[in-house]
Amino acid sequence: MRGKYDEKLEKILCEVQKPARYTGNELNSVHKEKTDGMVSFAFAFPDLYEIGMSHLGMKILYHMLNERSDTVCERVFAPWSDMEQLMQDNDIPLFSLESKTSVREFDIVGFTLQYEMSYSNVVNMLALSRIPLRSRERGDSDPFVCVGGPCAYNCEPLADIIDFAVLGEGEEVNGELIDAYKEWRAEEKPTRESYLERIARIEGVYVPSFYDVEYNADNTVKSITPNRGCAPAKIRKRIIGDLDNVFFPEKLIVPFMDIVHDRIMLEIFRGCIRGCRFCQAGYIYRPVREKSVDRLCEIAANSIAATGYEEMSISSLSTSDYTKLGALVDGLLDITEKKRINLSLPSLRVDNFSMELMEKVQKVKKSGLTFAPEAGTQRLRDVINKNVREEDLVRTAGIAFDGGYNHIKLYFMIGLPTETYDDVAGINDLARKVVDVYYTLPKERRKRGVSITVSTSSFVPKPFTPFQWEPQDRMETLVDKQKFLKEKITTKTISYNWHQSEVSFLEAVFAKGDRRLGEVLISAHEKGCKFDGWNEYFSYEKWMAAFEENNIDPEFYAYRKIPYDEVLPWEHIDVGVTKKFLIKEHERAMEGVTTPSCRENCAGCGAASFGGGVCFE
Amino acid sequence: MSKYRIKFSKTGMGKFISHLDLLRAFNRTVTRAELPVRYTQGFNPHQIVTFALPLSVGVESETEFVDIDFEDGTSFDKILNGLNENFPEDLYAISVSEPVFKAKDIFSAEYSVSIDADFGRSEKKVSDFFAQNEYIVLKKSKKGEKEVNLMDFIYEADVLKENDNRADIRLVLAAGGEKNIKPDLVLGSLESYLTPIKFDLTHIRRTNIFCKIQEKVEIFC
Ligand code: SF4
Repeated sequence: MRGKYDEKLEKILCEVQKPARYTGNELNSVHKEKTDGMVSFAFAFPDLYEIGMSHLGMKILYHMLNERSDTVCERVFAPWSDMEQLMQDNDIPLFSLESKTSVREFDIVGFTLQYEMSYSNVVNMLALSRIPLRSRERGDSDPFVCVGGPCAYNCEPLADIIDFAVLGEGEEVNGELIDAYKEWRAEEKPTRESYLERIARIEGVYVPSFYDVEYNADNTVKSITPNRGCAPAKIRKRIIGDLDNVFFPEKLIVPFMDIVHDRIMLEIFRGCIRGCRFCQAGYIYRPVREKSVDRLCEIAANSIAATGYEEMSISSLSTSDYTKLGALVDGLLDITEKKRINLSLPSLRVDNFSMELMEKVQKVKKSGLTFAPEAGTQRLRDVINKNVREEDLVRTAGIAFDGGYNHIKLYFMIGLPTETYDDVAGINDLARKVVDVYYTLPKERRKRGVSITVSTSSFVPKPFTPFQWEPQDRMETLVDKQKFLKEKITTKTISYNWHQSEVSFLEAVFAKGDRRLGEVLISAHEKGCKFDGWNEYFSYEKWMAAFEENNIDPEFYAYRKIPYDEVLPWEHIDVGVTKKFLIKEHERAMEGVTTPSCRENCAGCGAASFGGGVCFE
Repeated sequence: MSKYRIKFSKTGMGKFISHLDLLRAFNRTVTRAELPVRYTQGFNPHQIVTFALPLSVGVESETEFVDIDFEDGTSFDKILNGLNENFPEDLYAISVSEPVFKAKDIFSAEYSVSIDADFGRSEKKVSDFFAQNEYIVLKKSKKGEKEVNLMDFIYEADVLKENDNRADIRLVLAAGGEKNIKPDLVLGSLESYLTPIKFDLTHIRRTNIFCKIQEKVEIFC
């Protein structure tokens, strides 16, 4: 199967920008020959190579599947428009990087869904692979198409497109899917349906076609019911209990070209103890489970030896919450300093200890620091349960400026539930206070002048969060708030960037969408929508035309306040966190009452039912 | 002595590795091999690695040169084996030695080119192109675009084979700091000269680098 497109492909690679996106010859990439009896899995990332290769989860699953002697796993990325055009001109279908095999020839094609705005690329990549777009149109010569990753928890907008979804962490369940595939292939009369029936019994596997969705006259969901015995009423996500003993690749792929995160990423724990109420990651990955210092140092040393990377970064939702951070940083510095490897510690909380750590780690580069207060006033920070206090920020900014930093980035959201214009003005006030801190320093200490960057993103209500019932601000309101803030910011010291509100609107629609959006995705694809995360491609008009064509009002999904008793499109998905808990959290938010972190006081969210992690510390 | 010269090849898919990416690949290979490399002083120390002559993306080569500073007394074999055990596919270290010539004395480079195309459809011949005394092209450089006579940059051109669907050519082109030309520009000009035919596939491989020492041309090493 290798080499089928080699000649044509070689020619177009000579013409395309950044051919290294498509060559697949990187160090530690796995090239295996597929022989009879083996299962082939195409791991597809619906974005460019340099984005997809920055994603740790993809690398873990790729190497894990390739560890199996009975499995070939190869990578597929979305080709950039120049490449797509050349592929079409030369009649080359979408292919895998390693063996340049047409994606359609694989047994299973798995897309990872990291953000809603990549859905149009999923559809486009299926089309480029010449795989029928709707699951019901696929036949025996087509692969099974599945999805995983954070957006898979509510993959209803893709329900008619995919064959199945994998909910939760993939290290165990992906192997089970391969085992089931081999058993199925040995069946007397294997049909697509019989494979799906087999895997619907595996915990964490969701087969959308095995559920009937009924709607009310007002377009809300009436019921979601399994239509066969093998399909459980609730599909429960999978997690890995013991992160120290789960597979982790020793030999990560090292790309030739510069990618977004071109470094070793050290995942120190999964989940987050904080429970910021807007943050989906804070709920879907519960409970928090840590890797031990010893295991992390072992992984770090092995990864450096196998890759030669000059940089290593800790990866977590909130680095400061790692219980033995001091010991970990000392252990890592022992390894990295000798080898001249830069260590970076993102996602630190604002406090003295973290400043000390930064001092230790970043001996040279002292330019920018990033903080995310998320909201401008204490009232609103209490609503969203973001426990950053103004005093903390002001004090840390002082330490930072005194220590030689002169640029601070502040991240905020606008459009949060209960937000008023006072809260928006509070963003400027807070930034001003940070600037003022700088000018309290004695003159001789302020050498280069100070600059503050304020960035606002727009709040997007997400499933499985306490704000899932909340409406998003209308685009006009968001634009108005951005304008209001821009006018408030009068000093040149503070610069302001904001997100396009149309994109945030579509994110909300697809995050909270139901099955009826599948046809919208296909219409949008037909109109040429792809790479929606890229300004040069995003076309709001095309999307609106796609909604109209299918008689669907997108505002229904984004702008409606949903009552607690309404059936949600993702009602049948169980992430461990209970609806009862989310309702309680929503009520507390409306009262402006904060909820302590898992380590201060367990709030009884339901994730303890997985039997491990922080709930039993 | 701490500067070592490594002769290496870059073939297969390796021809798509850009110059910057190649530097990174060398840095990481040296780190993996745990070779005693020397770093620059200062805030942002990096390995001391210098390529003799950049190679265009899309061109293979069997004679590339890179100079790397290692601790004194590091054996040639240790470097050669360390690199080859740790290189990504498509890179291969051929030999390690002390540098003989300086990169600034590089004067020309030899390429072996083969082109698949429907040559039968053209009235003109490949050899006619190279027989011209003058062929004006727009040449890009850091300073901007300039019209030049392409033939001034082509020191030798032997058409080894020319039939209806294939041409094999040996070219020696100006290279180095003072005067240089990329093989793509030569082949692109050839293609427009032969209009209407289009090249299907071209293979370009660098086969030698020459330097000029006191008017004498020597193979770079
Ligand atoms: S059960 Fe308690 S400790 Fe466990 S994740 Fe939920 S809130 Fe945190």
